[in-house]
Amino acid sequence: MNKKILDVKDVTKVYNSNGSEPYEALKGISFSVDQGEFVGIMGASGSGKSTLLNILATLDQPTSGQVMVDGKNLSNLSANQMAEFRAKKLGFIFQDFNLLENLTVRENIQLPLSLQNIKAKLFNNKVQEVASQLNIQDILEKYPSQISGGQKQRVSSARALVSDPSLILGDEPTGALDSQNARELLDTLNDINEQGVSILLVTHDPFSASFCKRILFIKDGQIGEEIKSDGLSRSEFYQVILDKLGTFEQ
Amino acid sequence: MLVKLSLNSIKSRFKDYLVLFFGLIISSAIFYMLEAIATNNQFTEGNTIISSIKFIFQFGSILLGIITLVYVSYANNFLVGMRKHDYGLFMMLGAKKGKVSQLVAIETMFVGIISTVLGIILGISLTGVLSKLIMKQLGISLKHFSVIYFPAIKITLILFIILFLIASILNIITFSRTSALTLLRSSQATDWKKASNLKLIIQSILGLVLLGIGYFALCDIKNLKLSSIPIALVTIVLGTYFVFNALVSILITQLQKTNFGQKRLNNFTLAQLKFRIRDYTKILSVVSILFALSLGAITVSYEMNHQVEKYANVNSMYSIAVVNPDKNIKTNIQKLSDASVQQYDQITTKNRIYYNKSQINARPFEYQDVNNSGEIKGIKKASIRELSNPNSTAYSNFLNVNGYSSKKIIFVSDQKFNSIHQKVNHLTLVKVKHTTENNIILDKIVAMQSKQLKVKNVENLPGSYGYFKLLKGVYSGMEFMGTFLGFAFLAMLASCLMFKILSGATDDRQRYQMINKLGAQKSTQINSIIQQVGLLFLLPAILGIIDVIFGLQMFDQMELISDPYSDLILVLCGFLFVYLLYGLVTVIMYIKIVLPKIKITK
Ligand SMILES: Nc1ncnc2c1ncn2[C@@H]1O[C@H](COP(=O)(O)OP(=O)(O)O)[C@@H](O)[C@H]1O
Ligand SMILES: [Mg+2]
Repeated sequence: MNKKILDVKDVTKVYNSNGSEPYEALKGISFSVDQGEFVGIMGASGSGKSTLLNILATLDQPTSGQVMVDGKNLSNLSANQMAEFRAKKLGFIFQDFNLLENLTVRENIQLPLSLQNIKAKLFNNKVQEVASQLNIQDILEKYPSQISGGQKQRVSSARALVSDPSLILGDEPTGALDSQNARELLDTLNDINEQGVSILLVTHDPFSASFCKRILFIKDGQIGEEIKSDGLSRSEFYQVILDKLGTFEQ
Repeated sequence: MLVKLSLNSIKSRFKDYLVLFFGLIISSAIFYMLEAIATNNQFTEGNTIISSIKFIFQFGSILLGIITLVYVSYANNFLVGMRKHDYGLFMMLGAKKGKVSQLVAIETMFVGIISTVLGIILGISLTGVLSKLIMKQLGISLKHFSVIYFPAIKITLILFIILFLIASILNIITFSRTSALTLLRSSQATDWKKASNLKLIIQSILGLVLLGIGYFALCDIKNLKLSSIPIALVTIVLGTYFVFNALVSILITQLQKTNFGQKRLNNFTLAQLKFRIRDYTKILSVVSILFALSLGAITVSYEMNHQVEKYANVNSMYSIAVVNPDKNIKTNIQKLSDASVQQYDQITTKNRIYYNKSQINARPFEYQDVNNSGEIKGIKKASIRELSNPNSTAYSNFLNVNGYSSKKIIFVSDQKFNSIHQKVNHLTLVKVKHTTENNIILDKIVAMQSKQLKVKNVENLPGSYGYFKLLKGVYSGMEFMGTFLGFAFLAMLASCLMFKILSGATDDRQRYQMINKLGAQKSTQINSIIQQVGLLFLLPAILGIIDVIFGLQMFDQMELISDPYSDLILVLCGFLFVYLLYGLVTVIMYIKIVLPKIKITK
């Protein structure tokens, strides 16, 4: 059996904004992701996708339930340990590229390594390695304002990869890209996944989702259904997803 | 509806508004305090002390007016920065531009008027407390000084309302020209480009050379004479500008390349700073130079006030000179601490005053020697020959204790003295070690003496105490002024810098949110903010302190004050305390605005 990289058990989240009634955004979610899997989470807007992702990313805490990443129980970590955990074990790719515009591409990529206090000499090789993997060696000394949107997204992928994370989390990473660049990024993610990196992608876009090997549908804070590509080609899987979404709408 | 929405968002950013109000209240309070003194003619003219330095107040209030202008514009930027997103959102939701502009203008005026009124109230109470405190501290009493002074209230109100009116109009223009989307996304619009290295290097060298010339001019005032000050002013202002514009950038770039520069968030912090400094060049230069001017002014006024004794002693080493003191005066003289008393016999005829040579030789007359250019050379004992030379310093000192009598002073032998058959008077000379410690008793003595001699102004009495009192008044007034203006400027400058920094905070929020996601610990993020804000505060202060160190050389060279640095540390401590307090508030505010509030319970 494969090693579980992510194990989520009975996670709930209740928002207690003052003034209004408590709102239960997640109502007992359980699922797991194996090492090397490429899993998508789909759901309508407001279904709780970002809430779930924030909890997995240790940016927020669940009201109840347990999350294990790479064998570590997140609820046992202190705030500082969580930060360290994010730097070492997780890679993020966001919708808005989230590069720091006052750092060069190289400096942006090496930021997670700097945060772990790794010596500059050691991480130069690593930066070079991910840069060539994502074909951005030539723009390392440029500032984000000098590169294109597609390049920016590749830079943020490189940054997500540079610390050899156990799991890459993406929240609508193609949301701000045109179809050409979106396609390129998804192909890149696919390559990364084929090299053995586990990816969890949150999206409401069926095309993005069709690159995943397994899709969990989330609705009103609960996991509804699950489908797998199981040897289907990408375009066939895309059709399956569209059909599935169709049944939800009825 | 829109008004309600707008009020709601004010409520949610209450703390930010509190800082805005606080800063504006302080600035209008300071302005009121200065005006209460400067425009109060009854007060300024009724006090000999203050009237001589009235021009400093007027100059000060003009300068403060200019700083206030800069200050209000920064505070307004902070306000607009805070509200851009909200108002952009309202427009997205379909509010008309006109309506939004109107709302922005109303909000600006509202903030302005409320804070000005509160500021004047604070100013009135602070004036009361401060004036009592300072009068007590300096041992002077200010006549006709009223804490509530209507013309000052009027001027303060008018100035601030005009400034806020301008700000409102500018805001209306900003909001009606910009589209909702730009407003919403304004924080992402930062554009970072590399500056050319050659240009930076040239500017840095130019900056250092100019500063060098300026500092040299200050130290070389003896040769350069009056041209020293304008040379220094121009070169130091330009030099400071170039140093902030270029040298600091270069240093940061070099630091980024070191191992230290690659650790944790250091690279990001340095990049932020480099990005900031260029945007801040003007304000940092202004802060640095005014910091130096205020610090220098306070130090010099302190130092001069401390040396009044020395200045007074140029007229006479003896505080008191009385001919035939009565019993009352004698008992008071005995009460003086650390006093040395000496007595010369004298015989006064119609045209002459006779002294006994041997008596004077036995206990020589002392005076403070001063050379032709006014430099103090130390205490000397006068010989009879010097005393007989009308061009000598000793002679003019001796004339002083004789009450500048028009009679001829003649020194004669024992024999001759005894052969003059007239009444022998006794001139009693009293020297005290510390004039200020004895001021109450000395005051009594001079009062009795001026009554006896029917002298109106104590400074015309023989001895130096009367003159000391006059000088003390003037210099205490200058010290009061210097301290007040110096700290007023400091507070204004520091809050200008504070708002300038805080108005950039909103843009930084996203950056820190991202860094947090990438796994930066909270303490690392806080350190990064402290380093950034701290350095922005420290850099101008450091350069300002260097300016002062060289500036005081000028006074040292001219022998205006003998040890200009002895009070610098004390004044500097007070200065840095106030300044760094603003820095601390800025850091705390910044952290509150920037760092994401994550509710991690552990
Ligand atoms: N901080 C919050 N406080 C209160 N309610 C929230 C908060 N964040 C999200 N929600 C609510 O939780 C639900 C799920 O939100 P979210 O996870 O952002 O959905 P999605 O990302 O799938 O669009 C929504 O109804 C949203 O209004
Ligand atoms: Mg979402």
